[in-house]
Amino acid sequence: MLLFELIGNFFIEAVRSIGKISYFMFLIFKYLFFPRFYINSNFNYLIKILLSSIPIVALTAIFSGMVLTLQSYTGFSRFSAETAIPKIVVLTLTRELGPVLAGLMVAGRVGASIAAEIATMRVTEQIDALKTLNTNFYNYLVTPRVIALVIIMPLLVTFADIIGVYGGYLISTLRLGFNETIYISNTINFISFEDYFSGMVKSIVFGFIIAIMSCYHGLYTGKGSFGVGSATTNAVVSSSVLILVFNYILTEVFF
Amino acid sequence: MEINIENIYKNFDGKKVLKGVTLKIPNKKSTIILGKSGCGKSVLLKIIYKLIFQDKGVIKYNSEENVDINNFSMLFQYGALFDSLKVWENIAFQAINEHDNSINNLKEKVIENMESLGLTSDNFYKYPSELSGGMKKRVALGRALFKKPQVIFLDEPTTGLDPINSNLINELIVKTIKEKEITAITITHDIKSAIKTGDLFYYLEDGITEISDTCNNLFKTTNKKLNYFLKGEK
Ligand SMILES: Nc1ncnc2c1ncn2[C@@H]1O[C@H](COP(=O)(O)OP(=O)(O)O)[C@@H](O)[C@H]1O
Ligand SMILES: [Mg+2]
Repeated sequence: MLLFELIGNFFIEAVRSIGKISYFMFLIFKYLFFPRFYINSNFNYLIKILLSSIPIVALTAIFSGMVLTLQSYTGFSRFSAETAIPKIVVLTLTRELGPVLAGLMVAGRVGASIAAEIATMRVTEQIDALKTLNTNFYNYLVTPRVIALVIIMPLLVTFADIIGVYGGYLISTLRLGFNETIYISNTINFISFEDYFSGMVKSIVFGFIIAIMSCYHGLYTGKGSFGVGSATTNAVVSSSVLILVFNYILTEVFF
Repeated sequence: MEINIENIYKNFDGKKVLKGVTLKIPNKKSTIILGKSGCGKSVLLKIIYKLIFQDKGVIKYNSEENVDINNFSMLFQYGALFDSLKVWENIAFQAINEHDNSINNLKEKVIENMESLGLTSDNFYKYPSELSGGMKKRVALGRALFKKPQVIFLDEPTTGLDPINSNLINELIVKTIKEKEITAITITHDIKSAIKTGDLFYYLEDGITEISDTCNNLFKTTNKKLNYFLKGEK
């Protein structure tokens, strides 16, 4: 009986959450179409998250590019297809690794801080205070973050793509003895607009997911410092899972 | 503004917090709602403000159910200052967002506002985290008064303050309410401060209003629960 109860409760909770999130998204779209801009908060925010994410995205991208190159070499050298390495590296990075890695890093770095910030504001009644000062929560806190993330993610992903390819280039030329000009021309000639475009679509969707999940979990936080902690965790976990799920869905779309 | 609160019920996840609260807030008077911690005072205040909604019951503002909550303002229990904004931006928050004045004009008004609350101008560009508890409360009061509300809601204005700061806040409240003819609703468990600032008193326990009275009659009460509360014993 307990098992049925657990399963039942799980589904009721799931449906309730989906309902709440859908309503939340409906409101976000509503306020995106009728925005009221608070110039200061918007602009500073854009700059801040861009700067704070660059180092961590660069690090993950360069190491992933390097590992990817070594592992492809292991595989391709077995049937003497080393020339495919620049192509496989740039393809994997622009279509998959760039968006997914940047998405996961930004979820951890920016999503967590948005969720913690909004949850703290909720717990300390600052969200109520906004309402008493005739300021709409969505206009003031949510839409600037959605817009910022949706603009910044493509830039970060482009940056991650370049750094990752550069990591591959370093390993190939310095360690595996590839010719530099041939590696570069192979990379540039191979990549198509569609590869890059699909990565950009992914990055925009991921930026949107991170913004929604972190604002949502921040707003519906539990009480006290415990509530803030779990809001942060929930924001990061749910955006990461959704990023991976949507990555698959979008890959199917562009297949 | 006269506010009539009739038979308000509120549950949270099955927990009954308010079980039929009825009270009357007279126009341009200071009404105090006393009660122990956790008895639902803040919840009641937020329901009257329409920040959250009751499960049952009606509230009438000048005998209408609709009201523009922009006539209200609230001093929150812990100040609820925006920690990412400076003191002056906190005080002028709404006016800045509504672009209803030039920045220089607003700054002058904020300086006036701060002076009337005994805040020196060196606090102007500080962040809330750099202020003491008493100063935070004063800045929060400044923010609540800046838009010149008809009704001010005060959630435990003196809780957590030392006696001197608590007196200061009481005096500021009395001064502003009397000077500006604002209707005030204060919830508190601080009896001393309640006596100094209140015209009419209610006592809330177990989700219902036990009694309402003027200050003089408060201590002559025969209500057992209120007596316990006033004397601090059980
Ligand atoms: N948003 C909420 N969700 C669940 N329970 C709440 C919520 N707000 C208040 N409560 C509960 O209602 C009761 C009264 O809270 P409150 O009005 O803050 O008390 P106080 O009289 O000290 O101001 C408390 O037991 C609190 O746990
Ligand atoms: Mg309270």
